[in-house]
Amino acid sequence: MAEAWDNTSDDPTRRAPLVLGAADFGSVTQKVAQLAERPKPPRAWYIAFGVSLALTGLLGAMILYLFTTGVGVWGLNSPVGWAFDIINFVFWVGIGHAGTLISAILFLFRQSWRTGINRFAEAMTIFAVICAGIFPGIHVGRVWLIYWVFPLPNQMNMWPNFRSPLLWDVFAVSTYFTVSLLFWYMGMIPDLATLRDRATSRVRQLVYGMLAVGWRGSNRHWQNYERVYLILAALATPLVLSVHSVVSFDFATSMVPGWHTTIFPPYFVAGAIFCGFAMVLLLAVPARQWFGLEDLITLRHLENMNKIMLATGMIIGYAYFIEFFIAWYGGNAYEHFAFVNRALGPYAWSYWIMVSCNVIAPQLFWSKRIRTSPWVAWGVCVFINIGMWFERFVIIVTSLSRDYLPSSWGVYKPTWVELCTLLGSFGLFFTLFLLFVRFVPMVAMAEVKAVMPQADAHAPEPTPGRHAHPIASRGD
Amino acid sequence: MSPLAQRSFWRSLEQRADTPEFRQFVEREFPAWADEMLEPASRRRFLQLMGASMALAGMTACRWPVEPIVPFAHRPEGFVPGEPLHYATALELSGAAVGLVVTSYDGRPIKVEGNPDHAYSLGGTLAWHQAALLELYDPDRSQHVVARETGPALWDEFVGFARAHFDALSATGGRGLAVLAESSSSPSRADLRARFQAAFPQARWHEYEPLSRDTVREGARLAFGRPYRTHVALDRAETILALDEDFLLHHPAAVRYARDFVAGRDPDGATFSRLWVVETNLSLTGSAADRRIALPNRALPAFATCLLSKLVHEAGAKLPPGLEGLRPALEAARSHPVYGRVDADLVLDLAGKPGRTVVLAGPRLTPEAHALVHALNETLGNIGRTVRYTEEPDPDRPPHATAIRELAHAMGHNLVETLVILGGNPVYDAPADLGFGDLLARVKTSIRLATYEDETSRACTWHVPRAHVLESWGDARDFAGTVCLVQPLIEPLHAGKTDLELLAQLLGEAPSSAYEIVRRTFAAGRGEPDERAWHAALRAGVVEGSAWPDARPTLGTQAWGERIVAALGAPAAPGPETFELVFGPAASLVDGRFANNGWLQELADPLTKLTWDNAAVLAPETATELRLVQGDVVQIARGGARIELPVFVLPGQAPRTIGAALGYGRTRAGRVGSGAGFDVYALRVGEEGAWADVQLERTGRTYPLATTQDHFAIDTLGAQERAERAVTLVREVELEAWRHDPAHALHREHAVPPIELWKPHDYPGERWGMAIDLNACTGCGACVVACQAENNIPVVGKAEVARGREMHWIRIDRYFAGDPDAPEVVHQPLTCHHCENAPCEQVCPVAATVHDAEGLNVMVYNRCIGTRYCNNNCPYKVRRFNWFNNHKSESALEVMVYNPEVTVRSRGVMEKCTFCVQRIQHVRIHARNEQVRGENGRAEGRLIRDGEIVPACAQACPTRAIAFGDLNDPASRVGRQHGSERAYKMLDEFNVRPRTAYLARVRNRGGHEGAA
Repeated sequence: MAEAWDNTSDDPTRRAPLVLGAADFGSVTQKVAQLAERPKPPRAWYIAFGVSLALTGLLGAMILYLFTTGVGVWGLNSPVGWAFDIINFVFWVGIGHAGTLISAILFLFRQSWRTGINRFAEAMTIFAVICAGIFPGIHVGRVWLIYWVFPLPNQMNMWPNFRSPLLWDVFAVSTYFTVSLLFWYMGMIPDLATLRDRATSRVRQLVYGMLAVGWRGSNRHWQNYERVYLILAALATPLVLSVHSVVSFDFATSMVPGWHTTIFPPYFVAGAIFCGFAMVLLLAVPARQWFGLEDLITLRHLENMNKIMLATGMIIGYAYFIEFFIAWYGGNAYEHFAFVNRALGPYAWSYWIMVSCNVIAPQLFWSKRIRTSPWVAWGVCVFINIGMWFERFVIIVTSLSRDYLPSSWGVYKPTWVELCTLLGSFGLFFTLFLLFVRFVPMVAMAEVKAVMPQADAHAPEPTPGRHAHPIASRGD
Repeated sequence: MSPLAQRSFWRSLEQRADTPEFRQFVEREFPAWADEMLEPASRRRFLQLMGASMALAGMTACRWPVEPIVPFAHRPEGFVPGEPLHYATALELSGAAVGLVVTSYDGRPIKVEGNPDHAYSLGGTLAWHQAALLELYDPDRSQHVVARETGPALWDEFVGFARAHFDALSATGGRGLAVLAESSSSPSRADLRARFQAAFPQARWHEYEPLSRDTVREGARLAFGRPYRTHVALDRAETILALDEDFLLHHPAAVRYARDFVAGRDPDGATFSRLWVVETNLSLTGSAADRRIALPNRALPAFATCLLSKLVHEAGAKLPPGLEGLRPALEAARSHPVYGRVDADLVLDLAGKPGRTVVLAGPRLTPEAHALVHALNETLGNIGRTVRYTEEPDPDRPPHATAIRELAHAMGHNLVETLVILGGNPVYDAPADLGFGDLLARVKTSIRLATYEDETSRACTWHVPRAHVLESWGDARDFAGTVCLVQPLIEPLHAGKTDLELLAQLLGEAPSSAYEIVRRTFAAGRGEPDERAWHAALRAGVVEGSAWPDARPTLGTQAWGERIVAALGAPAAPGPETFELVFGPAASLVDGRFANNGWLQELADPLTKLTWDNAAVLAPETATELRLVQGDVVQIARGGARIELPVFVLPGQAPRTIGAALGYGRTRAGRVGSGAGFDVYALRVGEEGAWADVQLERTGRTYPLATTQDHFAIDTLGAQERAERAVTLVREVELEAWRHDPAHALHREHAVPPIELWKPHDYPGERWGMAIDLNACTGCGACVVACQAENNIPVVGKAEVARGREMHWIRIDRYFAGDPDAPEVVHQPLTCHHCENAPCEQVCPVAATVHDAEGLNVMVYNRCIGTRYCNNNCPYKVRRFNWFNNHKSESALEVMVYNPEVTVRSRGVMEKCTFCVQRIQHVRIHARNEQVRGENGRAEGRLIRDGEIVPACAQACPTRAIAFGDLNDPASRVGRQHGSERAYKMLDEFNVRPRTAYLARVRNRGGHEGAA
């Protein structure tokens, strides 16, 4: 850190600064924009991109194999008709939630600290939803007819079944993706204009120029921008709650013991935010270090996220407990067995991985030292993401493997194809993310500047020497 | 086609012979002869081969039978394309036939069903009858004559050889000639055999069956001086004792006996029999028992003696005068260790009910034990009432075990120069110590007639393809002697010959066609050829009045009374360090003859639920003692012979015994059967074919077993839950409780009727439903294969079954209850329940599974995109998903097996039971077309009658356990059953409102347990 100024202090008399270092508007622009303007990214980027791209290729190969051979290449069976496909779908959709929460809900609640990480988180949302969207698309038996899930007018007058939660998923996830993409892109327009204005080559000028859709930074532009931003935030806010609720309906409205529980919607939403923040942190900690963004994505940002993870982790811990309580209290023998079987049956190992990672690991965040040690927190977040993946495994696989008739109980074992597909989806995610850090300002410059003391006309006079005179950069 | 016609046809095209296509064709079809074929020098050879090629090239096309066949039911005078025709025929297995009716579409047989007019079918079948169809279209069936030296040959070449060879033999009266035939009841074959023996007086004729019932025959010979066949009336017995007799599955009269057995157990009838089973391996009959005693096989003869002793000494039964010779044995039995195992309840159940009990004994018992069973029935007063006798055909025939030994002896001394083997598969299934394969190699000329070019054919100098039963003319007798006619549904696809045709050829006699031979035999019995009687018999499938008359033999003990005393001296349990290995038929492959039949390989064993494999079945107690778990491979040694088998732990197996199914481990069965399972025949040495003392050793290796239920060795938690759930899923009621108060016997829960979320459907017309009577279901599995045949269900193979991807639309769930060492078994067939509030329908995103106007939950394959959500949400897990394209590499021959009325499903599509909607539609179309005068005086279609629509599963069921019909009609059979006090719906508490009702099983344990 350029200046050892701890902004994680909890002293209520002093508002902790959100941007550290000797930052002014110009230096923020310089710091962020140069990352996207470098003629050549560092060698590490190439290595990371190469690996990610290779994994993406693996994903493509696995999908091709799946398409040409049939869903049987996965380890599914009767009774376990869903496993990695839907686990990965729920996992990736869940990841996305943190981005929307940060950009929309925290915006509405005027949590200015969000500005340091929102671009990042929103990008993560988009990429996670792309990864998520692949799975329901490829998991069907006749993939060439997947468009039948959309209510397209047709000569047979055949509509989808509006009673099916899978159809609700289609609407929920496609809405979510559309709004998230719009929100992300809309919020990026001023920054794209900055890049356009700083562009040194004709190609960059053209591309960024087109993407910036004629942004000139006029007062009128800013007014419209702020208004649309607010409207989109208001639109996206219910989505944070609704999308994962709808995803949870896939399970909650079915009659499979272990799925059929009313706690699922809030529990899924909390879980989504939990693992979403873990993923933001997972990306932010290395990025801020490798790209020198410690002043913009400060320890305070990380600590705040860790606190949210601690809170949501407790919520899902409570949900795990209450599921068991209701299974006992509800007096339904089938549900009772489903939960006892989760904790003690053949898949008990996955259940205890889940509990250790999701309930026990985040307890470390009670310690401020851990909350403010980026790499320790990063390690916890790895566990949280593993735990949340296993949560979906536990819900889907253990419930299906032993439902009503003991004669039809079965076991599920993934095949190499499923493992490679999961790995490949991470490849795709990181490929997209690496492209993002390479070509797009990864911190919302305009928004960060707005929360800097300099942007506040009534702010106390800055200590001389600490800040240079504000220079309106051409972008803002 | 006559050879002449073939030649003239091809002569006009011979200039095409040198094209590259032709060369390719030859290389493909006749690799062995390609060189010679393409060598223009041998013109005659060329013409011969082209004739054969023509026959083979045409084989995949449907052809019309040349000889006249009278349709069974529909339009004898004509034929409507697309309209199925039904023909009566029969399938013989080990000397007893079951009448069948085969459905044929446009000249192509597509479904086998039981012949309702035949007393040993009554419309029902077993699984292998159904599966005969698949064998017809099996591409692995032998397709041409093979000469060992030169490879594929023509029938005419064989004829040329045979004429010369047998002419020479007849000069010496057939010295050095022997025939080894499989058991057959065919009157025509008996006639040809007589002619054969007249033509070759020096020739020896041997008959062999690996799973012979000859101990039963020999037992009767001991008891009565002549072999008699025992017939029992299970419907009239109040107490049935089966000593190691699986009369529900592995018995020549099993289909009929199953029906009779169930008829004697009508919960609403006056009498309800109690079945006692004493056996070693848990059999299907054992699973139907009310009370069961598991004993080592060697102790069963002693058990019979002890039972008679107890009856006489403790229950006051009077020993009939002719049986006084048994006194010393009965006295000696009182101190026998097994005496205590004779349950007092059993004695009570048998004593004092003259003519209302029956004792049966199975083929693994000794002849002496069988003689004693006759004595038991005599003492109990059953003979002439529940037990009757007929004469055995061919009474002087030596037992199979002796016959093969004699033949082997002769072969070993080079006394056999020409051996004709009709069917069977002795290289695989003859007693292992004979070394039959090596002996066969010594025989100069061996001729084998067989369906497959199998282990035996490969050791013979000539192999002649055998015509499939559905391609053959023939005749056979059923268990009671009634002659059934076998008529072909299609001309031989591969130019196969029947054994009648081969024998006639060897004899050099005319007529040589099987049709004429059968007509000759038919006419012989009546003096005058009777065209009308012939047609009537063909139509009905049976020759009226041809059954054997009843005989009243007299029982004596001279021949065997002493031997019973001696037998009591033998140990009653295996010694320490040894185990008793009990050989048994494979549940569906029987003796291995059906090994290449995918339907039967994939049909789960009714008790172990194993597919594609056999195993060493151990009792839980024995497995615990040996610290073995399911899938551990053990080495089993008997003397020098040793085999390896995987362990399967099955409750009900007698302690310290090993149940092992024969019929697996074939090496030359074909692509399906070769290498499936383990060859247990290798341990079957010496005279004893029933059981053997063996040593058991663990190998430390494991072997994956594929079961359709309990896909994994279950943990304690799961096992406990399974036991708790089974009693609510499969309901049972004790007979006493049922008789006392039928309305409350089931202890059903009364729940507040749930509120409907949406308006229920309205069914003004029919409302189809099903009822399954668990009291009638024996768990035999015929319905599973019948459904597979009717609905074009693919076979997926062992690996896929192991993954839980079997495709059967109907399955039979099997649960154990009670003490694992003396379990009670329940079988529960499960199909789609066609729920009114179907959970599958609500979750399908594309509405591919919906309700139709008659309440069927229909699956629209065209609309299905394959999310599998419906199966996840199905509480009965009856839906099946096409994980792959299961029909990818099928030949033109294989696809002929498919029912044209049913869609063949593509990959990625969900499927499930349709209640045989194609059969519903078929009946409906016919009903609509039959004009009757309606209420308003106008002509309209008639209503569908109850019982007119029979789904494939219900049709095949030997015990009519499955009823189907209109639930809107309370008088229909299914309507009455739904209204029965025994009816319950599984998982009804979830308001899915299933269309299938189960009728609770009634147990008649009696005794102390029954009081509860």
